[in-house]
Amino acid sequence: MNDPRTPIPASGIAQIGVSVPNVSVRGPEVPRTIEALDPVFTVSGLSVFYGDYEAVRGVDMTIGNREITAMIGPSGCGKSTVLRCFNRMNDLIPGARAAGKILYHNEDLYGDHVDPIEVRRRIGMVFQKPNPFPKSIYDNIAYGPRVNGVKGKMDDIVEEALTKAALWDEVKDKIKQNALSLSGGQQQRLCIARAIAVKPDVILMDEPCSALDPIATTKIEDLMQELSRDYTIVIVTHNMQQAARVSDRTAFFTAEVDAEGVRHGRLVEFDETSRIFTNPSDKRTEDYITGRFG
Amino acid sequence: MAVLSTPKSAVQLASKGRPLKEHLFRIALLASLAIALVFLAMLIVYVVQEGWPRLDATLWENQPSIRRPETAGIQSGIFGTLWIIGLTALMALPTGILAAIYLEEYADKSKWYNRLIELNISNLAAVPSIVYGILGLGIIARWMQFGFTIMTGAITVSLLVLPIVIISAREAIRAVPPSIREGSLALGATQWQTIYRQVLPASVPGIATGSILALSRAIGEAAPFLMLGAATLVRFNPEGVWSSFSVLPIQIYSFITRPQAEFSVLAAAAIVILLAILLLMNSVAIWLRNRYQKRW
Repeated sequence: MNDPRTPIPASGIAQIGVSVPNVSVRGPEVPRTIEALDPVFTVSGLSVFYGDYEAVRGVDMTIGNREITAMIGPSGCGKSTVLRCFNRMNDLIPGARAAGKILYHNEDLYGDHVDPIEVRRRIGMVFQKPNPFPKSIYDNIAYGPRVNGVKGKMDDIVEEALTKAALWDEVKDKIKQNALSLSGGQQQRLCIARAIAVKPDVILMDEPCSALDPIATTKIEDLMQELSRDYTIVIVTHNMQQAARVSDRTAFFTAEVDAEGVRHGRLVEFDETSRIFTNPSDKRTEDYITGRFG
Repeated sequence: MAVLSTPKSAVQLASKGRPLKEHLFRIALLASLAIALVFLAMLIVYVVQEGWPRLDATLWENQPSIRRPETAGIQSGIFGTLWIIGLTALMALPTGILAAIYLEEYADKSKWYNRLIELNISNLAAVPSIVYGILGLGIIARWMQFGFTIMTGAITVSLLVLPIVIISAREAIRAVPPSIREGSLALGATQWQTIYRQVLPASVPGIATGSILALSRAIGEAAPFLMLGAATLVRFNPEGVWSSFSVLPIQIYSFITRPQAEFSVLAAAAIVILLAILLLMNSVAIWLRNRYQKRW
């Protein structure tokens, strides 16, 4: 966390990531929310709408550089919705829009000049269910660099990405085989390798282990620790033990019913993981982590 | 011990006559299948038997003739059919597939006009082919002055099969899981890259199968060509898209309506050829589907 991130090569959205501030940009102060010293994302007053329905209301948080930030909470609390704002995947849902601000290295992620394609190249995503393309292992990894027009030795890029994802030794002899022939855990590590291959800055993970067995889950968790040296990781998980094991900071979300009887996802508490799990400030957080609700 | 002494088990595992019902249901299903297959087999056996004496080289070497039914052939019909199908494939497949891509990948289904388009494509697929024949006659042959040519026939048949191509291509595109699109977009691919490099390759087997079946339908059509002046006894092969033409179903129809017995033999032989072309196309469709089908 103390080595400043190397600037991202300038292209499409050149402004993003040219300089990394050491002082966080302050959004409106919200109690029980701490700010990362070296933020990749600074979220302030984020609300997400699906049509007229406000799914998530008023989220303020910061995501620290090369940290693992976990988002936990009961189903329907909006944690995946918030995650999908970070790489603008919500843009793909008709009628979805975000209000408020998300700064990415001090650049407004939803600014008019920002190209969501370029955002997604820098901010990779791993999904709940492993979704390898129905192609060879090699072509799965090479796909990202190819669509982004990366020149250079594709073999090296593929090997490097698979090595980083701790998958190379298992697949190096069958690199031309169909990726769907791999086990579920291997497929998910392939998806992580695929995200790494485009050299992102951030990797978003949306419940990456929920479809995996415990051994495969352990491998992914070890891999996340390993990757957090080079990448900022944000993970949504239903598994509180997982959040406690892997993350530096934890955000607890819950769904609340407002005065008009409409449910909104709210960020309840955002703090260092050790504090959230040992000494949370909010009663609702405590109830959730001790299993009293959710 | 007291527990074990219960005279009769509370759990009822004995048969309740289900196996018989299961059996009858199976027989009913098989019988339904058998009816379809038996009639197809009878049809094939009958036309092959009937047409056998004329299933020789003269059938496709010679042109139709009223005077010598015993040596008349169907060459112009075979060529006409091939021209029509080739041109129809060139026009209807790209249009249909692109329209399907628009409807599946771009159209916002919450907009009323997109829903209206969808509804009407389904309606178009149900329009009788003779109506397309009238459309071709009125607009393409007369108003656009394309005349009674291969071009007119191919455009008309393209319009006829277009809704079928669109519907089957949409189904194939829809069968590609959304997670594949998300995976591609999350890597920084554009929407077009995602469609071109992930969605289309994954849906090619389904699109190809649907397209071939749509073209098979076009081959068997006689009704629109009756309206479009496909002449019955064309004695020359088409030389280009502006030639007049005949097609197999029309030739078969004209042979059958003649009194001489030789013509009914000739018609049966032509039917065998038409069926052979159809079966060949359907086998290609099945082969394509099995060869390239994706398992998710």
